[in-house]
Amino acid sequence: MIIYFLEKKCKEAINLKKQYLIIGILCFLIAMGISIQIKTVKSWNTSTSMQSTAENKLKDSIFKAKEKYENTYQELQDTLKQLEEVRSTVANSSSEAGKIEAQISEINKLLGYTEVKGKGIEIEVKDGTPEKMEGYEYNDEYVNYLSNYMVHDGDLKEIVNELFNAGAEAISINGERIVSTSSISCSGNIIKVNNEKLGSPYKIKAIGLPDNLYGALVRPGGYLESMEYAGVKINVEKKDNITVNKYTGVYSQEYINRVE
Amino acid sequence: MIYITIIIISCILGVILGINLPTISYTYSGYLAIAIVAALDSVFGGISSSLNKNFDIKIFVSGFFGNAILAMLLTYLGEKLNVDIYLAAVIVFVGRMFNNLGIIRRYYVDLWSKKAIEKNRQKVKKQN
Repeated sequence: MIIYFLEKKCKEAINLKKQYLIIGILCFLIAMGISIQIKTVKSWNTSTSMQSTAENKLKDSIFKAKEKYENTYQELQDTLKQLEEVRSTVANSSSEAGKIEAQISEINKLLGYTEVKGKGIEIEVKDGTPEKMEGYEYNDEYVNYLSNYMVHDGDLKEIVNELFNAGAEAISINGERIVSTSSISCSGNIIKVNNEKLGSPYKIKAIGLPDNLYGALVRPGGYLESMEYAGVKINVEKKDNITVNKYTGVYSQEYINRVE
Repeated sequence: MIYITIIIISCILGVILGINLPTISYTYSGYLAIAIVAALDSVFGGISSSLNKNFDIKIFVSGFFGNAILAMLLTYLGEKLNVDIYLAAVIVFVGRMFNNLGIIRRYYVDLWSKKAIEKNRQKVKKQN
């Protein structure tokens, strides 16, 4: 009788231990889940001051689209890497394929589809800080005054033009490669290059003969001088080794046809 | 006492691991949120049933995971049908959470008031 009772007690104790273990594991899971969730929500830094279902849905769809884009872009990069590998193996297998491969890489370089490096110059243009003018009201004159201190799309166009004119072979603005179909346009207080939104400061990298590029830009009476006079902060540096990003866009050829 | 230390230690471990793990993607964070609500509901259910002395670990664990998975499936279905079914899950779970909290509260308030009455009686007896 006593043994039976003891056995029962033992079993209960074991069961109790098991229960504690299971409950501990569940607590562990729930604490982990909550902390991960909090971290995730924080990382998307959604401000919850204004909440309406329509707004939330829009925000949701934006985040989802962004995520999808990132995933797809990653996939594209992986595929491109694979393609490169396949190409190099093919090029190694026969000499003719090697020649074609060399041609392809040459053309890609010219089209801006590869990262290139070389000597050149680096220009940084930054919005200036206007001094607060006493007694000025917020009118057209004041806006014009402020506008002088800002970098405009026209300024970037002018600089790019000047650089190409001086023999630059590859130019990028904040990592956006300037190719034959590139566009630079104004979009409020930011500038769109290749339809990508960029903001001040603008870092322009150009590959070419540094002395020529430098001279063309900072010559007396040149465009940079007038910009600097207006209040924009400019910094030009000659560099021995700069890398210019590759063009990530697509050349559209829906309407062009070759003339035989 | 062991009970409480185990809970606290596992909670701390969970938080530490959760902070060090990478964040999940935004698409799935909604599912995790609803699973957390479901799991919390089962926790409160477990506490209230243990107060009522009919706590069963099997029912508790199956409820913990079953509710979470069911809620996630419902959320998925709702997304496919373009109906916010997860709202229904949230309402049910949170409603039950408040119910269980009510039971827990009543239990402890009863306990406390009984003790107070007992003390009063003893005082009265002594005076007599």
